[in-house]
Formats: sequence, C-alpha cells, structure tokens
Amino acid sequence: MGKLIIDGIEVEPDPSKTILQVANELGIHIPTLCYHPSLPYYGACRVCIVETIWRGRSTLSTACTFPAWEGEVKTDSEMVRKARKVILELMLAEAPDSPEIMELAREYGIEETRFKVRKERIGNKCIQCALCVRFCRDVLGIGAIGFKNRGYTRELTTPFEIYSDVCTTCGACEFLCPTNAIDLSTISPNKPIPLLSEYEAGLKQRSCINIPFPQAIPNKPVLDRDHCMHFLKDACGVCSTVCGPQAINYDQEEEIVEEDVGAIVVATGYDLYPIINIPEYGGGKYKDVLDGLQFERLLSASGPTAGEVKRPSDGKVPKRVVFISCVGSRDPENHFPYCSKICCMYSAKHAMLYKHKVHDGEAVVFYIDIRSDGKGYEEFVTRAQEEDNVLYIRGKVSKIYKNEKDNLVVMGADTLSGNQIEIECELVVLSMAVRPKEGTNDLVNKLKIQADANGFLTEAHPKLRPVETLTGGFFLAGAAQAPKDIPDTVAQASGAAAKVVSMFSEAEIHKEPVIAAVDAELCSGCQMCIPLCPYDAREFDEKNKIAVVNEGLCEGCGCCISACPSGACQQRNLNDTQILSMIKVALEK
Amino acid sequence: MAKLKSVKEFEKLHKQLTGKKNPKKPSIAVCAGTGCVALGATGVVDAFKKEIKRMKLSEKVELLITGCHGFCERGVVVLLRPEGILYQRVKPADVPEILEKTILNNEIIERLLYEDTVTGKKIVHEKDIPFYKHQDRLIFGSNNQINPTSIDDYISIGGYSALARVLSDMKPEAVVDVINKSGLRGRGGGGFPTGKKWEYCRRAEGDIKYVIINADEGDPGAYMDRSILEGNPHSVLEGLIIGAYAVESTEGYIYVRQEYPLALEHFTTALDAARKYGFLGKNILGSGMNFDVKIARGGGAFVCGESTALMASIEGRVGEPRAKHFHTVERGLHESPTVLNNVETWANVPVIINKGWEWFSEIGTDRSKGTKIFSLVGKVNNTGLVEVPMGTTLRQIIFDIGGGIQNNKKFKAVQTGGPSGGVVPESLLDLPVDFERLTEAGSMMGSGGMIVMDENNCMVDVAKYFVDFLKDESCGKCTPCREGLIQMSEILKDITEGNGKEGDLELLEELSWVMTETSLCALGASAAFPFLSTLRYFRDEYEVHIKEKRCPAHVCKALITYTINAKKCTGCTLCALKCPQDAISGEKKALHEIDQSKCIKCGICVDACKFDAVIVD
Repeated sequence: MGKLIIDGIEVEPDPSKTILQVANELGIHIPTLCYHPSLPYYGACRVCIVETIWRGRSTLSTACTFPAWEGEVKTDSEMVRKARKVILELMLAEAPDSPEIMELAREYGIEETRFKVRKERIGNKCIQCALCVRFCRDVLGIGAIGFKNRGYTRELTTPFEIYSDVCTTCGACEFLCPTNAIDLSTISPNKPIPLLSEYEAGLKQRSCINIPFPQAIPNKPVLDRDHCMHFLKDACGVCSTVCGPQAINYDQEEEIVEEDVGAIVVATGYDLYPIINIPEYGGGKYKDVLDGLQFERLLSASGPTAGEVKRPSDGKVPKRVVFISCVGSRDPENHFPYCSKICCMYSAKHAMLYKHKVHDGEAVVFYIDIRSDGKGYEEFVTRAQEEDNVLYIRGKVSKIYKNEKDNLVVMGADTLSGNQIEIECELVVLSMAVRPKEGTNDLVNKLKIQADANGFLTEAHPKLRPVETLTGGFFLAGAAQAPKDIPDTVAQASGAAAKVVSMFSEAEIHKEPVIAAVDAELCSGCQMCIPLCPYDAREFDEKNKIAVVNEGLCEGCGCCISACPSGACQQRNLNDTQILSMIKVALEK
Repeated sequence: MAKLKSVKEFEKLHKQLTGKKNPKKPSIAVCAGTGCVALGATGVVDAFKKEIKRMKLSEKVELLITGCHGFCERGVVVLLRPEGILYQRVKPADVPEILEKTILNNEIIERLLYEDTVTGKKIVHEKDIPFYKHQDRLIFGSNNQINPTSIDDYISIGGYSALARVLSDMKPEAVVDVINKSGLRGRGGGGFPTGKKWEYCRRAEGDIKYVIINADEGDPGAYMDRSILEGNPHSVLEGLIIGAYAVESTEGYIYVRQEYPLALEHFTTALDAARKYGFLGKNILGSGMNFDVKIARGGGAFVCGESTALMASIEGRVGEPRAKHFHTVERGLHESPTVLNNVETWANVPVIINKGWEWFSEIGTDRSKGTKIFSLVGKVNNTGLVEVPMGTTLRQIIFDIGGGIQNNKKFKAVQTGGPSGGVVPESLLDLPVDFERLTEAGSMMGSGGMIVMDENNCMVDVAKYFVDFLKDESCGKCTPCREGLIQMSEILKDITEGNGKEGDLELLEELSWVMTETSLCALGASAAFPFLSTLRYFRDEYEVHIKEKRCPAHVCKALITYTINAKKCTGCTLCALKCPQDAISGEKKALHEIDQSKCIKCGICVDACKFDAVIVD
C-alpha cells in the first residue's frame, strides 16, 4: 500500500479516519465550521476543503469527510486558498454580522465580500452548519430545532415555528454554534436553569462535568449524575467520544465504604442561614444582596470575577457597600438567639479588603455591638475604622429596597444618634447566622450523640469536657459544636485529636465504674431494656436467654435499670440499696 | 388469475395469451398518456366506447387505451391496426366517422392525417411519418401495443419472458455479466455503467441488499420516465426483478414523485398483478427467489433524484445528500448495499436479456450503447418523446424527427441535460449525441431533456432561468450551492436588468469554478453549467448586455423599448385598443405614440400591428 502525504508529511493511510483527523493529529490546522468530533461528518460548510491528488489528478475534497486513503493532500495550496476565499465571501454575504466569519475571512485577505448582502440576511449570523440541529436531534434525541424551507430560503427554526415543547434548555446548541447565532429564548419560553457552582457560592455556572473545587483530592473531574443528559435521557455521551484517553466511565457510582474504627471526631462544620429567609432585606429577590461567603468569593483572586469586586446584577464595581451584622443571629423572636461569633470579624475583614480593592469606594457596617474578643481582634476592628475609614453605624436595619436607579436602599435606625437613616448603596452583604450543617440531626440519631436546642452538638461537659461527647469514642471539633472562628476550631480539633491519641495509647479503656449489670438469676429475658438503651449497650444472650450489658458501650445512664420489671438490672456500685442507704444517711443529718 | 409456480406454467400462460391474439383483427389504440389526456383523450376514449357499443362493433374491433405514443404535439393520437394508420389531433366528434369510414369501409379520413411540415404532403401510415420513421423505439415501442393496466397484454407481447429465462437458465453472475457486456449505462444522467454498479453491489457485504427505481424525474420539460411508467410499467418492474436476482436483493423500492399520480396508479396496479401471478413475493416462479417492492413517494423535491438524498427520503429523513466517498452500492439505503437505477435503465434490462448483449451493444456508439429517449420540446415543430440510437446527431433529432424550427425561424441552440446541462450551438448540430460528446461540448446527456431554442431566445435569460430553477431546488445543505446559486442568480438578474457591470463575468466564472469544485453533490457541482455553457458559446451576448445594455434577442424587458415607426404607422388604432396599460395614444389615421412610463413591454402591440410599425429595440 502507498503512503498518505499531508503537506509533505508521510503517514500510513488509515481509511477509518478522515483527512481532518489525521491532519489534526499531525498538528496541521484546517479551518472547520460544521465539524464536531462528537458528531458524524456532515460536510456542509465546505471551508475544510483540501487539495487531494490521486494519480496526478487534483481535486478539492472536504477534509472532514474524505477518508485518509493513500495519495497526496495539500491543506493550504493556492487552489485551496482560492476556493476557501470564495466560500468565505459567500458566507459573509450570508452572515454579514458574524465577527467570527469576518475574522476567518480576514485570514484569506478578505476585507469585504464581493457578493451582495441581501436584505433578508442583514443581522444574520447563522451559516447553517447544522451543528445545533444535528446535536439536538442525533445526539440528544430531542429535535427541538431544525431547518425550514430549502435552498437559499432555508432557515433555522423550531418545528411549526412555535416555542418548542421538547426543548430542555440544555444550551448545547448555544454552546456548539460557531457564530453565536443561537438565542435560546427564541426556542423555548423556559428560562434555562444554570448549573451553579457550589464552590463559588452560586456566583458562577459550572458544567455538568467539573472539578468540584481547586484543591479537590483527587484533582479529577466528576460527572454530575443529576444533570447529565446521559443519565437523564440515555442520550448524549459526547464526553466519552471527545476524551482522548477514554477516561469516561458511566458505570462508576458512589459507594459505601465500611471501616472499623476506634474513635470518631465529628467535625461537620456549618452552613450559613439562607438569605432567602430574610425577605425584608431582599434576600433571594435582589441579585446584589449577598451573604458573607459569596462576598468572600467575590474578593478571591481565584473567584468568579478573578478578584475584582463586581456586583452580580450588572457587573458594575459597587461604589458603596453596606455590611449588616447579626442577620438571623441574636434574634430570638424571629430566628436564633445565639451569637454567630465570626461575623464581626469577617465583616471588618471584608470591609477592609473591599476598600483595598476599590479605593474610592465606601464601606458601611451596621452592627448591634462589636464582639472582638480575641487576640488582636479589637485592634483589627480599630484599624478598619481608623485606617481604612470603614463607617460603623450602631443600629439595626429594618428594610432594604430597590430605588429607581436600580440601587439598593438600606433603611435602619442609628441607635447612637437616635435618627432614622437611609443609605443608598450598590451592594449589600449580609452576615448570615451560622447554622449547624444540614444533616447534623440525622448524624445525631445515627451516632447516639446529643445536640442542643439550636442543633449544635453537645459536649460532655461545657467546662471540663468540651471536646468529648457523652457517648464514648465520639469527639467534637469546630463549628459542629458551636459557631467558632478558625483559631478556636483549630484548638478544639487539636484537643479532640489529643483525646483520641491518649485513649488509643492505653492498653485498656478506662471507664466510670458506675455501669449497668444484670443479675442472671432474676432476668426473665423480657428484652424491654434493649430498645431503651441510647448507646446500644444492651444485647440479648440467645444461649442463656437473658439480657446482657456491653460494658465498653454502657455509659451508666440508668435507663434500663428504671425500666427493668424484675429488678434484675442494677447499676453496679450504685444499686438501689446503696442509693437508699446514701439517702438514709443524708436524711439522718 | 392463479399464481404461477414454475417457469413451465409461465410458458404455458404466455402461449395461451399469444394464441388468443388475432393479428388481423382491427384494433384502435388511443393514446391516453398525460399529454393526450390534457388534449382531451378521455373524451375520445369515451366516444369510442359509446360508439362501438352503439354500432355493435365490440366483437369486431378491439379498443386499446394505451400509454404515451410520444407524438405529444399532435395529440390526441389514434393508431389503427393492422394497417398502422395514424390519425392525429382527434376530437371526440371525429370518432363516429373513424369507425364508420376507416374501420368499416377502409376509407382514409384526410383531415385527420399528419401533414408533413416540410413537403406539406399528407401521410397515412405511422411508420412513414418522419417523426416515427427516424426513431428506433426499443423501449418505447411497446407503449402503443398494450393496455398498461393489463399484465396479460404485457405477457402477450413477450413480457416477463426475460425474467423467466433468467430464473431458469442463468446464474446471477451471468446476468451481471450480460449487462456488463451490453455496455448499458445509467439513463438518469450520470451515465455510470449499469453492469459495474450491479457488480460492485453484488460484491459488497451486507445482510440485505436493496434495488431501487428512481422515478423522481424532475427536469423541467422532461417526462420520459413518467411516460414509460404510465405506458409500460411492467417493463420497468421486470427489469427491477431481474436486477434483484442479479444482486441477490430481497427488497425493492420505487421512489416516485408525488406529481406523477397516473404513473403511480399504473405501477401500483402492475405490482398487484405481478404479485398475483407470483412474479413478486416468495419463491418466484418456483426458483426460490424472494423479492417484493415497496412504494415510496417523494414530496416534490428535485434534489431527491440524487441517490443519497433519495435514500434519506425513503428512510424518512430530510432529502439532503451526503458525501459519497463510500458509494451507495456499498452503503446505500439503511447503510446496506443498494442499486439505484433510473426508470429507463431498468426498462432496458429485459430487452437486453431477450435480445442478447451482442445485439444491444451493436446499437449506439463505441462507449454509449443502446437507445436513449429524449423529450424534445421548445421551439421545434414536433414536440414529443423521441427514442433514437446513441450517436444520432442533433440535426437528425431536431430537423428530421422534430421537423425543424417553428415558424421557420433560425435555430440558435439546443439545451440538453436538464437544468444542470448546457447549450449546444448551431455549429455543433452535427454532433453525435452520446455521453462523451455532449460532455465535451460543455453540456451533458442528463436524463434526456432537449429544449430547442431559436433566434428569439436570449441566452442570458436562458441561463438565468435554469439558475433560478436550481436556486429554488437546491436543498441548502452546503454553502457553495445554497449561497452560490442565489448570488449567481442575483448577478444574472442584474445583467438582464441593465445593471451588469465590468467584472461580473469574471466573478461569475470564479464562483462557477468554486461551485463546481466544492459542492457536496452533483446538483451544486453542475449548477453552474447553464451559465458556463452559454458563456462559452455566447459570450458576446453577455457582453452586449453588460456594456451596451442591450438584449439582442429582445427578451430582457429592462433592456428593450417599444417605439412606433412613423413611416409605417397608419393610425389604425388597433395597438392602442389592445394595449392593456393604455400606454399607446394617438388620433385616428395619425401617428401613434407609446408612453414609455406606462409600457410594460408585453409585446401585444407588436402582434397586433398589421403593418410592422412597432419597433422593438
């Protein structure tokens, strides 16, 4: 068999591939418009034409369709350029308003097309490459768009030229269009629901395949099964065709891993109270009312705006930002009674960083009182006030609304001067209350540990055992226990770790001596004690037909003892007789 | 009608049907092809039925309602056998006279005879009429012998004997070999050797193979395929079954355009009849061959005549072509090996089998064998369908058969090959018509359209007409065809409207080259031919349009003016009376004048003036 020579480079012919594929592998650039690796060839735009020479005869063929047979191929010969030039001129007459086509045309020395731009085509960008149509129909199996008419009157539209009722607003058409000619709102009345990046606090979209956050381990993309068309519609599968190393595996699923462990540190962290719960501040209604975490991302150099402070509604740099503390916290009537602890300090930090980025900007902080109880904290707040001129107003905000200039107006009381004030600003940051992580309650039931009225996990003793739970082997760290800043979290976590290590370093477990015990003679095997035990310490001995106590688990709470009908169950070293004796002695005094 | 279980049974039936025929019995063959129907054939047929009944002649004469005889210019055509007398332009009122005089008393009715356009002599017999005399009607000849809805008629003239022979005596390879040796080439336009196509399909791997009849005839003015399907559907079907046997196909299709209802009706009748006799279905004539045919109807897109677009349409997709680096003989319908042949090609197959490839290959030129049916239309005296051996010259076709140019005007050019074809000028009138010669002359054989043009045809306008046709019929898939054609049409429009400018021709030539070289399918690749071939032979006419803003043939309305010659005008007022725009004014017996702002250049005044006083320039 002969060779295939592309632009002078000799390769083995491979008719299972096209000239375009082979050229791409060789790093030879051939312009394309209607080609996409995930779709079968179409060969409509004709810009990828190349000169194919076979037995001395030159012909023009489209590289995207022509099999890589033996012979010679020239991808940029004079003949090719001459033909591409006319094709691009035709396209320019068809899509005069496409900057992409104009740019490509310039590469061929075209400044203006010699052909007439018909008045029907003014404003048109579509060059009928049909990528959108083919993808929607052939890959997704939907067919929400297609062509009407034929020839020069052929036009992209929805069936019957009405809103498509099958369009899922997935946006693949928009994404694929080489000339940005597609407006999804002309296809479906449904607003596309963007996939918002959880890591960017909803300030940026993410694709269905994404690396969840920059430091993810392993640093590999994951498929979002809840939104992937492959799982939803059994269609698409484009990622697997595009991925060179064939790394896409649709069969991979979440798995449950079982491990035997000696101790568990519960460090589930916190959630911010959703701003939608504060409608009087426009939470969820105004795009420019953010929570602290969102503003944190806005300030971050790796964030959605690359560190530039731009407000989400229109991308404008806000010239006045109002920070409001204690939103949801310290509000026992409406929300939560406790102090979220971290807001005072991060508000000061945010105000300061904002001022550093927007020098002519103005930062205003509404506060009830400033809780800067940490080393250097008070000085930090003072610095914000004095060096960075952050304006602190003591008072509560009653309402936020939008004025006719599309700016936000913060209405509140200045409790120092006693005046009602209104501040117009371009962005509001709410210091939302810190809440236990969603799902903490389930975990409490699963682990048989305790939570307080606000849902934070309860330590064994508020002063003496702040990192342990009442259940043996379970420890606490961080905001799972209570709102906490980073130094406190690290300190508690270190304490928990030390506790675990000290427990593991001993050959035996040391426990309180007061635990439940069963008098085998008296136990009738009624098993009433078993479901009552909060620590799963009661088991049934099938052989002897009596209830027994797992001494490692029993915490000596006494639930089973009070329930035992026969009195077989007694607290060891603190049985009824002993207690009665103690009472007797005490009363005798 | 019982199913024939073997070739022997078929032969018995054939003998029986032939024996029934009495060649001496008078028969009246009335052409009821679509052309003659348009001219009133239905009335003539009814009149014959009524009169035969009234005169109690039903035992004595046979009335045959046939398909097209080809001589459409002279419809309704009635052929009387056994003498072979041809009556033309027959009206229902003529029917009693024909029966009484000619059938009963052997008298000729002079009035209904054909009068030669050159000599002015009346001609009695069909075979002596120049239109028929110079033809060689291998395929089309049976049209006037049979009732197209009767399978028995077809069998009685030797129909299905080719199939019987193939099934009983020949291996599939041998059939392909015969077709190969015969030199038959595709009649649809491409001229690809039919035998080769079958051979490639035979060799291609596939669980199922398809054979398809392409009856999506769409060229303006061409109706050969329709007339075959209407007049002799079994000949096409027999060819298809033989083809299916040769490539071992079990499923066939006919793709017929929606605009051909009569052809579809006749073919459907033929299919039903063939199934009843067992020419279709399981175990055909006891040979073990299984084959049946489905009907697919086109929606009226010209481009669906293109093989891949046609197959896409059958599959239920939009009729758009695809790249053909892998040919349809390998990956055709449903990605399976497929043989697609035109109606006329299939109709040639039984003839070749019956008469042998040696006989067939002697007809025609060295590389184009057999005959070709042309639809001869335009400014020629005898329009109609003409079947001649390949290699017949254009002069023979246009002047001997066609009877020359209407109104004794001067021949200018003939357009061949349909909209994608080209024009052949007077200097090439002696060109023998075959695939190669026409291509060399910048035109093509196409499916056999032939439009004759005289001195009153403007070549720029002709090119614009065909480009506009193709512009509307382009599927719009690829850029050079979709956008190239509309741009070409716009520039040609400018030229014909006096807005042509320097450089237009060069731009059109460059555009033509790109369209020809880079279009996806043959429609786009040949779409520039009407322009290129008119430019090749009539460049001066284009230049006059552009530089002098003049249309020498007086066709392009924007470039001509109507004035009245003061010397010739007698003031008869006739032109003023007829002018639909009231653009002509003048007193009686005084010089009239045309108001140029009102004149729409319809030419009615020219026809009205008896003194040649209206000047067009």
